[in-house]
Amino acid sequence: MLEQLLIFTRGGLILWTCKELGNALKGSPIDTLIRSCLLEERSGAASYNYDAPGAAYTLKWTFHNELGLVFVAVYQRILHLLYVDDLLAMVKQGFSEIYDPKRMVYDDFDETFRQLRMEAEARASELKRSKQVAMKPVNNARKQGQDQKTGFGENKKSNSGLADVGDAERTKSHQLENGYSNGNRVIESKLTAVVNGKENASSNVGAFDVNKLQKLRSKGGKKTDTVVNKGSKEESKKKVTKKNRVWDDKPVEAKLDFTDPVGENGENNIEVLAADQGQSMMDKEEVFSSDSEDEEDEEGSQGSKLEAKKKGWFSSMFQSISGKASLDKADLEPALKALKDRLMTKNVAEEIAEKLCESVAASLEGKKLASFTRISSTVQNAMEEALVRILTPRRSIDILRDVHTAQEQKKPYVVVFVGVNGVGKSTNLAKVAYWLLQHKVSVMMAACDTFRSGAVEQLRTHARRLQIPIFEKGYEKDPAIVAKEAIQEASRNGSEVVLVDTAGRMQDNEPLMRALSKLINLNSPDLVLFVGEALVGNDAVDQLSKFNQKLADLSTSPNPRLIDGILLTKFDTIDDKVGAALSMVYISGAPVMFVGCGQSYTDLKKLNVKSIVKTLIK
Amino acid sequence: MEGAEQWKVQVEQLKVHMEHWLEQGLELVHQIPPIQLYVGVAVLLFTTLLLLLTRLFNRRKSNIILLSGLSGSGKTVLFYQLRDGSSHQGTVTSMEPNEGTFVLHSEITKKDKLKPVHLVDVPGHSRLRAKLDEFLPQAAGVVFVVDALDFLPNCRAASEYLYDILTNASVVKKKIPVLILCNKADKVTAHTKEFINKQMEKEIDKLRVSRSAISDADISNDFTLGVPGKAFSFTQCHNKVTVAEASGLKGEVSEVEQFIRENV
Ligand SMILES: Nc1nc2c(ncn2[C@@H]2O[C@H](COP(=O)(O)OP(=O)(O)OP(=O)(O)O)[C@@H](O)[C@H]2O)c(=O)[nH]1
Ligand SMILES: [Mg+2]
Repeated sequence: MLEQLLIFTRGGLILWTCKELGNALKGSPIDTLIRSCLLEERSGAASYNYDAPGAAYTLKWTFHNELGLVFVAVYQRILHLLYVDDLLAMVKQGFSEIYDPKRMVYDDFDETFRQLRMEAEARASELKRSKQVAMKPVNNARKQGQDQKTGFGENKKSNSGLADVGDAERTKSHQLENGYSNGNRVIESKLTAVVNGKENASSNVGAFDVNKLQKLRSKGGKKTDTVVNKGSKEESKKKVTKKNRVWDDKPVEAKLDFTDPVGENGENNIEVLAADQGQSMMDKEEVFSSDSEDEEDEEGSQGSKLEAKKKGWFSSMFQSISGKASLDKADLEPALKALKDRLMTKNVAEEIAEKLCESVAASLEGKKLASFTRISSTVQNAMEEALVRILTPRRSIDILRDVHTAQEQKKPYVVVFVGVNGVGKSTNLAKVAYWLLQHKVSVMMAACDTFRSGAVEQLRTHARRLQIPIFEKGYEKDPAIVAKEAIQEASRNGSEVVLVDTAGRMQDNEPLMRALSKLINLNSPDLVLFVGEALVGNDAVDQLSKFNQKLADLSTSPNPRLIDGILLTKFDTIDDKVGAALSMVYISGAPVMFVGCGQSYTDLKKLNVKSIVKTLIK
Repeated sequence: MEGAEQWKVQVEQLKVHMEHWLEQGLELVHQIPPIQLYVGVAVLLFTTLLLLLTRLFNRRKSNIILLSGLSGSGKTVLFYQLRDGSSHQGTVTSMEPNEGTFVLHSEITKKDKLKPVHLVDVPGHSRLRAKLDEFLPQAAGVVFVVDALDFLPNCRAASEYLYDILTNASVVKKKIPVLILCNKADKVTAHTKEFINKQMEKEIDKLRVSRSAISDADISNDFTLGVPGKAFSFTQCHNKVTVAEASGLKGEVSEVEQFIRENV
């Protein structure tokens, strides 16, 4: 049964709901859908799952972009209603005929809807019947195909495996695009745990839209569910062990370039640095010049221009003067393709670029092109707006204010730095410490990297230079315990902020991830800061989503702590390839709080959203 | 070669023609009596000046009122209440601003012709905040809607948003008046405007410290609030900041209408 069908404007006014269905929805699925899916540039997805106490809904939607209308259908997830897409399309068609922006009440649509629904239901049941006749062979073939695909996608490791899936299939696939509002995620993974048995919960990652397993699993529809599921579970296990070995063989990574040679001798002649390296760049407004990039851009856009030329310049000019009737998928395709390629040359992960383009397409399809505009510029503007939306933090990133709040409660403010190996955690921890010192906040460091040799000494060097206390317990101890003692020590000696350095770990290293989860659970820090390299491309998605996933899965508490913020390092080395910032923010929903951009303590900045968007688009 | 030569000749001819016309034109000007000329120039100057003045005048008397505030505070309900006197069948989270130029619903029946208002309901979702900056420079007034029912958990977020508005360059420079509207006053558990006023002042006082620290270097475009060394109060703002209660859902919006009339 359909639970509800709503029609509302993009401005947020409900125009019509089905009174016949009438039953009130539990929780607020519509608002959640808008906030954590449609406004997060995930509207290209096929459906959205919403869980509230006593309800598990699936929501589907469609836009009428020219009229600015949104149509949403809500139904119980267990029902797998087949006719919903069909019905939504018909409702959209029917309603757009009678819609008038000045009119607010559409009671006469009740009757139309009743008919449409009956039609859709009848058609669906007919389809089912005809399918049942030729059921068996088709189903088998499908199963095989699915298994193969699962293996393929997994082995490839890079996300480009997705590109191999045909277009039609991709749009049909039930990508479980969940937002990442905390509560939602927990319930989701719990629920799947109940349904699929507990073991599955770790591999079945309904919560993250990037999850390939989930995507592949659901692609075959419910019938192949169990089979594919088993396969993918094995796959993932294999993968983990493989990764482990790689990890063990890997030599301890090179020391961060910044540190002085560690060891007794080196330590003696370290000059003391009393906050005199000047102002941290965090406090400086960045003047962004994009002259050099502009030139490059022209080349990029020429490519798309050439493509447009193929269509014949006369017809395209005529179109641009008269304004086209309405944009359809085929019109948008070339411009979107060019834009996607451009994003990817800026190092945006392919998967993210793909999703963004889908979302932009969803918001433009059916829209009328204004006179004297080109499709490519319309698409570009829409993308620009989308990028600004994504990169604008959802919550305040005013750390100093948070520190003051903690101060009032007489608690130290605890920041845990996490990330993979060699990204510059300790160096940037020191930069953050320097910045805090400049604002008269007393800082303490906690050396909780008890895994890699030399890590503690490296941090000690920084602490001496900055003349701030450091809490260390050598390499023997459990990092979670070290952190706990450090925090206790901080409240004793009145330090206002504790910066916790942790061991770098690959996202697939189960034991180390478990240790991290323990550290975070035990100490409930105020901020979990993911330190990531601005150089990463497709791997950014994998790192962040796996970190979040592991933290969620391994947590013992019902409300697991996830990554709250991102620190991007080595930003000075990437030129215009700023895509990692976008990939990381999109996939985790966490804002970029700091940007490390050089070798000295002052080289820490805020992210300049405007300049990043400019660089990405051009 | 020949073509080029021909072309040259043509150009020469054109030149001669032009010179001729120019002479004729000048002669014509000389024939006009000087007084007429002066009058003509004066008229031209006068009209351009008038145009410029009306432009300036118009800009100062903009009729744009913004509805801002966190998501879920009740802006869209308020928008339709002011426009149509009804919130229709309810609302969901807005994805785009609602805009409209109209005479307030309660004033339609009034005899004397009133100036229509351009009302903009800016979505509260933080991802859409950037939209507000587009509208602020032209605004004649800002209504900052606060959810009085669910106030405490949102106090800090609301204060941060309000802080950003109060320190916005256009708001400070043009002294755009701000009305803090404690919405949902129809419910008995709603906080009073006095309480909300006080809590937000306290919160902004704290924000002042941390924000000014962040923006040491860019004071030029980020204005500081209040008097240094003194607890912050809205009365210290150079623009007028007032507090009022309302209920968008129940249509008790007289104080908003009053605010709009004062500023449009
Ligand atoms: N009790 C009560 N509820 C109200 C009042 N005004 C709005 N609401 C409720 O508050 C909820 C949100 O109202 P909206 O107007 O959609 O909120 P908004 O400020 O437009 O939110 P965004 O569009 O997300 O920025 C709705 O469920 C309304 O029913 C009011 O005066 N009293
Ligand atoms: Mg709204």
